Amino acid sequence: MFIHIDNKTYTVKAGKNLLEACLTLDLDLPYFCWHPAMGSVGACRQCAVKVYKDENDMKGRLVMSCMETVTEGLRLSIEDKTAKAFREQVIEWLMTNHPHDCPVCDEGGACHLQDMTVMTGHDYRRYNYKKRTYTNQYLGPLINHEMNRCIQCYRCVRYYRDYAGGDDLNVFAAHNHVYFGREKDGVLQSPFSGNLSEVCPTGVFTDKTLKEHYTRKWDLTMAPSVCNHCSVGCNTIAAERYGQLRCMLNRYNGDVNGYFLCDRGRFGYEFVNSENRIKQALIRSRTNEAATESEIMEHVQSLISMSKVVGIGSPRASLESNFALMQLVGKENFYQGISEDEAHLNRLVVEMLRSGCVHSVSLKEIEQADAVLIIGEDIWNTAPMMALAVRQAVVKTAASQASQEIKIPVWLDSAIKELAQEEKGFLATLTIATSPIDDIATHSWHAAPDDLARLGFAIASYLQPGKIVNTDFSEALLDKAKKIGDALKKAKNPVVITGTSCYNDNVIKAAFDVAVALNTGERKTSFSCVMTECNSMGLAMMGSPSFSVANENIKTNGHATAVILENDVYKHIPSANADEFFNSCDHVIVLDALHNATTEKAQVLLPAATFADGDGTLVNNEGRAQRFFQVIPNTTSQVQESWRWLKKLQTLKLHTLNGHALHPDDLLREMETALPQFEGITNVSPKHDFTIHGEKIPREPHRYSGRTAILANKNVSEPKPFNDGDSPLSFTMEGYKGTPPSGVVPFFWSPGWNSVQSVNKYQEETNGALRGGNPGLQLFKNKSDARDLFFNDVPESFVVAKDRWLLLPKYDALGSGELSSYTAALKTLSPQPFASMSTGSLQALNAKDGDMLQIVDAGIMYGSLPVKADENVCDGVVLVTAGLRESMGMSWGTRVQIKK
Amino acid sequence: MQSLTNRVKPVDRKPMTFLEKIYLWEIAKGMMITIKHFFKRKPTIKYPEQKREFSSVFRGLHILNRDEQGRERCTACGLCAVACPAEAITMEAAERKTGEEHLYREEKYAARYEINMLRCIFCGLCEEACPKDAIYLSQTFTPSNLTRAQFIYKKDDLLIPDPNKDPEQYAKALGDRKRPQ
Ligand code: SF4
Ligand code: SF4
Ligand code: SF4
Ligand code: SF4
Ligand code: FES
Repeated sequence: MFIHIDNKTYTVKAGKNLLEACLTLDLDLPYFCWHPAMGSVGACRQCAVKVYKDENDMKGRLVMSCMETVTEGLRLSIEDKTAKAFREQVIEWLMTNHPHDCPVCDEGGACHLQDMTVMTGHDYRRYNYKKRTYTNQYLGPLINHEMNRCIQCYRCVRYYRDYAGGDDLNVFAAHNHVYFGREKDGVLQSPFSGNLSEVCPTGVFTDKTLKEHYTRKWDLTMAPSVCNHCSVGCNTIAAERYGQLRCMLNRYNGDVNGYFLCDRGRFGYEFVNSENRIKQALIRSRTNEAATESEIMEHVQSLISMSKVVGIGSPRASLESNFALMQLVGKENFYQGISEDEAHLNRLVVEMLRSGCVHSVSLKEIEQADAVLIIGEDIWNTAPMMALAVRQAVVKTAASQASQEIKIPVWLDSAIKELAQEEKGFLATLTIATSPIDDIATHSWHAAPDDLARLGFAIASYLQPGKIVNTDFSEALLDKAKKIGDALKKAKNPVVITGTSCYNDNVIKAAFDVAVALNTGERKTSFSCVMTECNSMGLAMMGSPSFSVANENIKTNGHATAVILENDVYKHIPSANADEFFNSCDHVIVLDALHNATTEKAQVLLPAATFADGDGTLVNNEGRAQRFFQVIPNTTSQVQESWRWLKKLQTLKLHTLNGHALHPDDLLREMETALPQFEGITNVSPKHDFTIHGEKIPREPHRYSGRTAILANKNVSEPKPFNDGDSPLSFTMEGYKGTPPSGVVPFFWSPGWNSVQSVNKYQEETNGALRGGNPGLQLFKNKSDARDLFFNDVPESFVVAKDRWLLLPKYDALGSGELSSYTAALKTLSPQPFASMSTGSLQALNAKDGDMLQIVDAGIMYGSLPVKADENVCDGVVLVTAGLRESMGMSWGTRVQIKK
Repeated sequence: MQSLTNRVKPVDRKPMTFLEKIYLWEIAKGMMITIKHFFKRKPTIKYPEQKREFSSVFRGLHILNRDEQGRERCTACGLCAVACPAEAITMEAAERKTGEEHLYREEKYAARYEINMLRCIFCGLCEEACPKDAIYLSQTFTPSNLTRAQFIYKKDDLLIPDPNKDPEQYAKALGDRKRPQ
């Protein structure tokens, strides 16, 4: 489709609005209220352009470009005098009440309002009167509120309420004194509140944790990173200054997180700076524990050559690190550091996705689904961004169907809302207990895992009768199955989501069966299974036996040295079993970043890098391999990536020191050869020697300040910039200035666009893929000739036992996360550990709400916990908080005894 | 060859005359010039007893300013650092806590503020960039020092004396600059 802008002809995509079209064409046009993920409402009047009837029309008319659809042959002018004057006036009005406090404001230097003011050319203040002022509110430890800076664009409430489904932020009052905030001071309730700091084009909502160690955006050293706090793998930008991690920003990935992050991901970074970091290599058997690198290498070398060595991998360590450990100890001695139950589930998920018979779904595709079925996973708390994607699917399906009927463009937000009213797309949540996402569900049902699985199998058998053999389903169950099945049948792009947190393989099998049964010619069905950690999938794909097997082996064979990679075994395994393991080990060598119960057991402790001081690759639950890059230059401490430690040990062992520097690329290449399931993994990101016109990609913006002064307290002459050579990124401000390949974009910036809104300039089209394709490499391929994998294991219905309760984990969106719980702000929002049971169960125990209960499993006593009565937990089940800083590994999914 | 400018002077290669050959006359001519200078005004001064008059826009050592109530004016906005062509300034911001209002004028302040005087080229761009009238270049220059490290001026070295506690020193440091509003 052709349109004419300022007498030049351009090709644009139909269905877009004029603003999107202009931005896609790389033309600068100011805007405020339009947001690529939320569409247009035409509220701010900032995006005015002139539109002409035909080439003879000299007068034209002013329109809001965000409210007008592109039509064939349309003529418009951005540069027109009236349009320019109009835009300048709009800014001037907004500025009458905007305080001139850019120097104090945290947004300054990355502020959309600053950029737009400069863009419109409003540079001189004529308003000399008193400005309107407000009282600010306390919004909790994550978000700061400074209402005076508001320009009434309404993006915050549209995001918070409409997009993220929160209800405690609103707009109050009228006229010239509208107020955006809460009814009264208090913590923002939504676990997606952090995005306000990026959605708000001014400094009203800003990141409060950044305030603790504030740095301007232009002064940050930034690197592309991947969130470490759940299995979704959202893309982030990690930002450093003075050797400290300062903040995490969103890194747009059209296939994964888009424009947003959850609060756990955005604020959970403080563990990197925490007091609890391991910075020094220790040999605990010596009086002087601290050891130099060569001492410790020699010591470890002698330990591992003395006896049999077992390697314990980790679901939160990178592929490179796990593989380096596997190489060091040998494939047969490498174990996943998780319980057999969890490993079994993960293996099952890998088998399902590898079969290629249903599509492994990305977050973006979930957003576009027209029906969603969730079985057995509380995704709001275990994979928050996935819950946000499901919300979009539910809220937007009805809207997009409505818009197709009467031809309203999808971006016309308020009209679409008017049309769709309360109508919603189909969502069924079949979970153990209630979750905030139930609010938008068409059906929700809470039951024990086995019963959930039975319903799943019943749905599958309703969809494809005869496939499930054993069908003694009750009438009520069949009725439910029919309702859900009918709704799913109507969909064109249904998605089935499940997860491992029920610790029940039948639940996953049932969900998969539903997906397979739905995946007939007329619709494309996809499937997703949430896992526990950021690299659970990567570790599972390596296909090694579990920790429990390692424990058995050591017990029978005795005498072994254990090398434990970034894994607090006590978080995965009941402490009695972990103790047993450590007692039968001759020596324990641990590599980790934070002190924990496992590092206590170590005789030798090696300081490992976190995502911020190292490079590596993670595989998310979708099977998408993504590379994260080091951002904190390391010149002094011994901290280095685990894979580097392990690889150095290996070269020492094999005497293969060839003088070559080692890079993650090399490890991935070796991995590809050794483990063919990772075929193609070397393409996950550009190689370490990749340059553009001979230049590396700078991690620092060109305005980076104080370079010759920063380290002056250490050395007056300017030291050579740090260079790890592991990636195409450099630790300086010099280098290639254009748009880098999408996987290695360290920050978003474009001339005149200092805020995050500059991401428009990195996309093929607004809200579309990044130029050159979204980063990440899908390891699971759809196979058209795949033989349908179908499971037939319908379990018996759940029976409440008299004195045994099914122990299941309960995660928390903000509090759970082994590493993120070291952020002080998140810790204050995290619940204290507790157990919850139904009133019926409590009666059976003769206990009441608030009593301390003790959980006992096969003679193992867990610490006592206060119990809460919860109507939504079914009888016979006990839920215990999991993933919190205090939480320890438990025998999830088994029946335990409870003592008062 | 055609000359590019009109300032070309052709070299005179005439053989020397007798007077020039005996040199004495030329020496006398030279001595005359020297002796003439004895009676001219001296361009040097007797520093440090005597100090040179500076231009009113002389750019010397930096001062971090306070307001009338003695509060630090700097809000650690970073504009001076980003304006500095020599990359000589570095700072770390901190949030003002309740009860510290008498110390810092704005909600944010510079917890650390350093100028590397060995790098600084005394261009004054930092002063120009500052929106808070918090930094200016005074009319003294950086004294010599024995170690390079001592040329890293910290906040303590840069801050102007408190106008309430030490009005005299404050006025002196302020020089003939007009008082900030
Ligand atoms: S608070 Fe921010 S996002 Fe909300 S209306 Fe004001 S300027 Fe817009
Ligand atoms: S915790 Fe999970 S959902 Fe949240 S930002 Fe990180 S990867 Fe995304
Ligand atoms: S005077 Fe110039 S060189 Fe010196 S600190 Fe200021 S801006 Fe930098
Ligand atoms: S001296 Fe001025 S420009 Fe520099 S940080 Fe302080 S207030 Fe900002
Ligand atoms: S962006 Fe078009 S009116 Fe606000």
